[in-house]
Amino acid sequence: MAKPRLSKNNHTFTLLIVGLLSWLIPGAGFFFLNEKKRAIIIFVTLLLTFGAGLYIGSIGVIDPYGSWPWYIAQVMISPLVLILGHYVSAGGFPVYGRPAEIGQIYTGIAGLLNLLCIIKSVYLAHLYRIETDGGQNVADD
Amino acid sequence: MSPMIDYVIATFTSPENIGTNPQSLFWLLPLAAAISIGYKATKLSEIKAGSFIKDVAGLLGSIVVFMAITALVLYAITRLATE
Repeated sequence: MAKPRLSKNNHTFTLLIVGLLSWLIPGAGFFFLNEKKRAIIIFVTLLLTFGAGLYIGSIGVIDPYGSWPWYIAQVMISPLVLILGHYVSAGGFPVYGRPAEIGQIYTGIAGLLNLLCIIKSVYLAHLYRIETDGGQNVADD
Repeated sequence: MSPMIDYVIATFTSPENIGTNPQSLFWLLPLAAAISIGYKATKLSEIKAGSFIKDVAGLLGSIVVFMAITALVLYAITRLATE
């Protein structure tokens, strides 16, 4: 597969862009790196997992105050969860028992999988830089 | 908004009815599949349909088998401790 030629001078900026894209839309970081198949698989899988969690437990599973550790994991899927969390924290979406557990696990795991994808895409972008640059130090540019 | 869109949004505002019976543990399977697909999509150096499906099936199988063994061991310990 043809690897994209990343800018030498803006290496840190490129890594930041890849990380941000991956966080904004799951798989977008890989898409930016021309890894289209990987991007599509990740996008579909994570969206379905997160959507299934919301369907089973309702949007009430996104609870910034009552279950903040899960909320941190959920936010990793996209910053849109921050908006949803703000909306849900106003109340009106109670969820208890098994649906709450399953919903939180699904959405939390989807978020953590996206964290893995963010890290991997940033690392891949860094490797591409080394390959296209022949292993030169950034300070040599 | 159309009634169809209203209906779709409404399904996300109320939880599904899932009991606390042993069958509800089968909700693990789709999650394990998602973890296998997501993990292998990041791990493999090149994505080819055949090898990707094979790797995903292998990981999914190992997760399910490991969970089943863990459940059996925990069940045996519980039985020994309570009898």
